[in-house]
Amino acid sequence: MKYDILHQPDSAIVKIQMDAQEELITEAGAMVAMSSNLDVNTTLRKGKGGGIMGGLKRMLAGESLFLSVFRSSAEAGEIYLAPKLMGDILPYSLNGEGLVVQSTGYLASTPGVDIELGFQGFKSLLSGESIFWLNVSGSGLVLLNAFGGIYEIDVDGEYVVDTGHIVAFEKGLSFRISKANTSWWGAFFGGEGFVCRFAGKGKVYCQTHNPSAFGKMVGGQLPPR
Amino acid sequence: MKYKYAIDHSPAYASLRMNLVANQSITVEAGAMAAMDTNITMKSKMRGGILKSVGRMLGGESLFLSEFTAQNKSGELLISPGVPGDVCHYAISSGRSLFLQSSGFVACDPSLEIDTKFQGFKGFFSGESLFLVKMSGDGDVWFSSYGAIVEIPVNGSYLVDTGYVVAFEDSLNYNVELLGGLSRKGLKTSIFGGDGLVCRFSGQGRLWIQTRHVGPLVNFLHAFRPVKSD
Repeated sequence: MKYDILHQPDSAIVKIQMDAQEELITEAGAMVAMSSNLDVNTTLRKGKGGGIMGGLKRMLAGESLFLSVFRSSAEAGEIYLAPKLMGDILPYSLNGEGLVVQSTGYLASTPGVDIELGFQGFKSLLSGESIFWLNVSGSGLVLLNAFGGIYEIDVDGEYVVDTGHIVAFEKGLSFRISKANTSWWGAFFGGEGFVCRFAGKGKVYCQTHNPSAFGKMVGGQLPPR
Repeated sequence: MKYKYAIDHSPAYASLRMNLVANQSITVEAGAMAAMDTNITMKSKMRGGILKSVGRMLGGESLFLSEFTAQNKSGELLISPGVPGDVCHYAISSGRSLFLQSSGFVACDPSLEIDTKFQGFKGFFSGESLFLVKMSGDGDVWFSSYGAIVEIPVNGSYLVDTGYVVAFEDSLNYNVELLGGLSRKGLKTSIFGGDGLVCRFSGQGRLWIQTRHVGPLVNFLHAFRPVKSD
């Protein structure tokens, strides 16, 4: 499998060349165009994290986390995948260590990569912001997507990132969600809602823009539904 | 007549800068003119007369055109598509046609034939408003996208999510179908787009896709709309 990311950072799209008998897992709805010989299935994945329970877990993580599986037949094929919002795509190679991905940050992965809704999901749910995390493990390629550009922070010690700006972070980091402001009053009115306090050693991938800030700004001006 | 033009700020915020020579005209999507020299005049264009224009309006078609002409001397005209993205140029040669998604039309040589009666995919499936415009003749056309434009040379068969189709050459056959494997309908979700409608292209020719689609943006923003209180 070979890939090429075009039109970075704002209009990024990834072109993936699949060899014969290869498989690619993507977020449902990410497919833009493909060779007609690819076979596709959008299901609740079997195996680890699959079955009905796995599907339910994914449903909790937001309905767009249904996964499509693309398979090439005896011939090679190609496929284009794009994020929903304007922004960049980041390739990440997993080699046994784990990655925590914000549910909207996942675009695609190779079959050796397992995707599970992590326990962290519930933790953040309690924190009031509807952020869900995916526990990504195994080995292979993960394609992440962001709203805006992506930048990397090498954490060694402690670091604070606004929850809305996190795309993914390495498992070597421990984290807890807390309010940015010292008082709850300030946390509520100060704009900086919840932040992630990281500790340890590892990388955090951040997006330059916060999707829910944009959503609230534009969506909030639309007529009520 | 040849056009002198430049495409600035590609691919995210492309805009078309046109340098018209004296008495040269260009047809532009209504509302897309951003700035121009004062010697350029504009008139609304009723293609095929008032009745046909009314027909287009009733048909839900949004392709309205204006014609800009540089009077007596040369002049500059800046054309910006309504949605941020890229602009692409294509020269149609005599006897051939280019199919365009109507919202992707930016500008063209006024001598080109724009067939809007041709309804493309409309009527095949409800809810999907992909109107195709068939452009033919001998001259230049410019089209736009949401996000960047990627050119795909098709030789054989290719599938594109209908929301991402921008333009394609008439040497390609096309057919809209439901690709069951892409559909989430059976999974009880209510998402606009991602419903498995694809355009199957076959033959040999060029196809242009856009790297974003407004449908998912609309879905995203919909979730943030205030909720009606009773």
